[in-house]
Amino acid sequence: MTAVATEPTTKPTVHHPRGRFAERAGLRIGERFASPGRIGALVALVVLAVLWLLPFLWALVTSFKTETDAAATPVSFFPKSGFTTDAYSNVLSQGNIPLWTWNSLLTATAITIITLVVSALAAYGFSRLEFTGRRWLFWGMIASIIIPPQVLIVPLFYEMLTLNLVDTYWAVILPQVVAPAMVFILKKFFDQIPVELEDAARIDGAGRLRVFWSIVLPLSRPILAAVSIIVFIAAWNNFLWPFIATSDSSLMTLPVGLQTVKSAYGLQYAQVMASAVLAAIPLVVVFLFFQRQIIKGFATTGFGGQ
Amino acid sequence: MSTAALSAAAGTRAGSSEIRAGERSAHHRNNRIGWAFVAPFVIVFVMFLIWPLIHGFYLSFTGESITGANGQLIGFANYAEALQDPIMWRSLLNTLWFTVLSTIPLVVVSLALALLVHQGLPGQWLWRLSFFMPFLLASTVAAQIWIWMYNPQLGLVNYLLGAVGVDPVAWLQDPSWAMYAVVVMTTWWTVGFNFLLYLTALQNIPEQQYEASALDGAGRWRQLRSITVPQLGPTTVLIVMLQVLASLKVFDQIYVMTNGGPAGVTRPVVMYIFETGFTGYRFGYASAIAYIFFALIVIISVGQVRLTSRRSA
Amino acid sequence: MALHHLAPPSAADPPGPGLTRRQMLIGSLAAVGGVAAIGSLAGCTPANASADGVRQLAFWHLLSGGDGINMAGLVDDVNALDHGYEATQTVLAWGAPYYTKLAMASVGGRSPDTAIMHASRVAGYAPGGLLDPWDLDLLAENGVQESDFLERVWAKGGLDGKQYSIALDSHPFIMMYNLDVAEQAGVLGPDGQLAPIDSPDQFLEVARAMQAVTGKHGLSYGYLGDGAQMWRLFYTLYKQHDAEFDLSGETAVVDDDAAVSSLEFIQQLLDGTVCTPSGDYGTAVSEFMSGESGMFFTGVWELPTAKNSGLNVDAQPIPTLFGTPAAYADSHAFTLPHQSSPDEEQRRATYRFVADVLKNSLAWAEAGHIPAFQPVVQSPEYQALLPQAHYAPAAEILNYDPEAWFTGSGSDFQNYFLETVQGVYLDGSDPAEGFDAFIRRVNVQLSKPNPV
Repeated sequence: MTAVATEPTTKPTVHHPRGRFAERAGLRIGERFASPGRIGALVALVVLAVLWLLPFLWALVTSFKTETDAAATPVSFFPKSGFTTDAYSNVLSQGNIPLWTWNSLLTATAITIITLVVSALAAYGFSRLEFTGRRWLFWGMIASIIIPPQVLIVPLFYEMLTLNLVDTYWAVILPQVVAPAMVFILKKFFDQIPVELEDAARIDGAGRLRVFWSIVLPLSRPILAAVSIIVFIAAWNNFLWPFIATSDSSLMTLPVGLQTVKSAYGLQYAQVMASAVLAAIPLVVVFLFFQRQIIKGFATTGFGGQ
Repeated sequence: MSTAALSAAAGTRAGSSEIRAGERSAHHRNNRIGWAFVAPFVIVFVMFLIWPLIHGFYLSFTGESITGANGQLIGFANYAEALQDPIMWRSLLNTLWFTVLSTIPLVVVSLALALLVHQGLPGQWLWRLSFFMPFLLASTVAAQIWIWMYNPQLGLVNYLLGAVGVDPVAWLQDPSWAMYAVVVMTTWWTVGFNFLLYLTALQNIPEQQYEASALDGAGRWRQLRSITVPQLGPTTVLIVMLQVLASLKVFDQIYVMTNGGPAGVTRPVVMYIFETGFTGYRFGYASAIAYIFFALIVIISVGQVRLTSRRSA
Repeated sequence: MALHHLAPPSAADPPGPGLTRRQMLIGSLAAVGGVAAIGSLAGCTPANASADGVRQLAFWHLLSGGDGINMAGLVDDVNALDHGYEATQTVLAWGAPYYTKLAMASVGGRSPDTAIMHASRVAGYAPGGLLDPWDLDLLAENGVQESDFLERVWAKGGLDGKQYSIALDSHPFIMMYNLDVAEQAGVLGPDGQLAPIDSPDQFLEVARAMQAVTGKHGLSYGYLGDGAQMWRLFYTLYKQHDAEFDLSGETAVVDDDAAVSSLEFIQQLLDGTVCTPSGDYGTAVSEFMSGESGMFFTGVWELPTAKNSGLNVDAQPIPTLFGTPAAYADSHAFTLPHQSSPDEEQRRATYRFVADVLKNSLAWAEAGHIPAFQPVVQSPEYQALLPQAHYAPAAEILNYDPEAWFTGSGSDFQNYFLETVQGVYLDGSDPAEGFDAFIRRVNVQLSKPNPV
């Protein structure tokens, strides 16, 4: 695979004559702050950003309407009978959204932790240890990245039937902890940690596991964070497999529950949008808090993200 | 637990004697340690990836149903049926068509967004938030929002188009529009990922190159063509490869928005696997279709790798 | 792929304790989640019986809208009887998603205690062991027996001498109309109900008269993306031709002329004036309920919505336009999805629950359905219900789906109809071609082995 980019994150901080303001405003040498090109770019950006935010806004506005206003023609951003939080109180009182959010948190956390432990151990093994079959195993694992999980839904469901795990949390979790791409990413990172750091501890008699735990892992915090973020978001949003693994609505994750379980009260637009907004909130809030880490995480782990 | 505490713990064990063993036993020991490290991964890898892969292949030669009936081997009957099944072909074509239709905007739009944002205009966090946030939505949530956007009578899309004089369209119900509607939604939803990869790549183009060319009197446009675009080459290759693989697996948003309809024009092959196996109860036949699809993915991936390696050679 | 950005620290960098606040947040979040995960994963043994011996029953159904509201009320009512159970309903998306999930739960062995199925689907489910048969003695103990049902309705739940489903109702596809609009249009008879209509042309005339009153449409009928809705109207009209639809052989035996005639009539309806060709289910409901049309082709289940709308609504079977009275219908029926180790007390509580629902199904009749439990139908309370009594004759002209393992409400069968025939409804494609494509699709399915 090709590199996404090869430069370290932090650009060398050379001070240019154009000064900090110009630097922050992205100006090049000899460029005026308000050149026609920049104004054009700004206009384009504003238009595109509005286009991208519009569906969110529309969902939000609808969720604060009464059902009658939501279904009223002509379409309006300002409902006749004003805004109300009825849809939210209805959804929260009769629905399973709190339960599903909990299930999502539970399974995504479990998946993240197990994936991290299993993958980091394996990555270290591949990076540092010599053992029979290592190359063979490693390349087999790399090749398996190509296998789309979608192809495995039938045999995996069959396996869960055999293990009597259908409709349990484990059925949701276990198939999602296999992440060859993450092992690969972690191995690449471990490869770049200088061996000398470990040698000192080894001479002091520390075993491999201890070296791994007390030297390698602490040095790898950034990559571990990145992998956790990717794995967590992917697990939180995964639909197809959790959808197949659970039929019991009390075990469903948020994306699955929203799609599968319906309101007894029929298609109610404001409530559907209120549910969508509620389901979107956790990750959007997390994103607002951890924007830099998340963006870095996705940029770093590139192909693991999809 | 803090790192310092652990290092200290390690320190107390310093000096515990490590007996030098013979070459062979050291080799054995290394083997043991090595395998111990990879063992947890190997277990889940085999149990939840390799075994299903093998078992699915076996199932594709049986008539197995969801209830366990008809589980006997039936040779190539499933494959023979699949090759003559117009719905399978149609769903494969739909998947390929979706891949073509979605990859183009997802690469082009993400590049355009990244180039615009990279201009360094004020409000960087807002731009990133706007374009990346949809990617954080679960597929079903994003799809619900767009079902509502596309509602023929009550949706925002027809309302806005109506304002400029376009007649209402039943986006998700009209066979001639449904696939495009899904592609637009998909672009909105996932473009943020490619956008980030491009943005990162742009930030890593050494500033000195621009400065040098600026001194040579190159304008922005020429810099774009002579520096930016060539420097983004590897990233584009990567993004196209990832996007093609991602688009080939499409299922979620189509399942929610159109359920494959109208008239099957949006049904991707993954949905046909799901329908055959779980709605139609035919595990064996579903496995055969899954393997045909898998073969297609392998061919496309190998083709892509060959294409790119030849170009870079 | 090379790694970038997160360049590992060089050997010179000490592994400092530089935990930022956010990293700690992530860490503690993970820790909390992890601990919780282990706790809940370990403690997931189902506890169905509470301390006071009340059994928690999981009850699945696919009823929403007016039906859902009524079923919710009915479940609350019978729970309040204090008969030793507390049923909790789960509503899944109607149609294929529901039946897919039900089958998956049944093979998984942790299925709900009872689930409502369409009677037309039972034949496709029972043979593969997805359903457990009802114990008729235990039912009788709870005051429910065969003689309490109409013969055809009871028989629909039987297979190979076992009873797999107990019908709650029968629910035909009918026509509602707005009395005020009808009156202004001058189409009411002397009895204050719609004057009899017996030909397609007459129907169109009445619809146009009503359109002139509403200024929008004469008829509301939503079908976009909805094979079930398309099929219900089609099959009603098709059966009014007294035509055969037999799937018991290797290929379908059908009457092409009757099909084309039915589809052509539907095209005439969907001309944009009589009825919009681009309405989905929800649109049609809201159109009729807001008085923008005079008539409404719908299931009986929309009656509560109509009553709540404050409109002056009456209802009747869809007029016999092609000679033979016929109505498409199905029944909601209680089933026992297969469980790998059913608990006997739990099953007893389930029987009590089902019997209680049947006995209290007058409330269900208020939802528009015709109860299957005859003691309820014969009660004076039911006889006094209007407009239920006006469409009750539909119960005598019921037509369930043609029988095959892939037919029934929300089945692939209706999906095939959607895929092959929607063009006929939507943009005037050739009816004969559309129907032919449908039958070809059905024949492909008939040629396959029954997987259950």
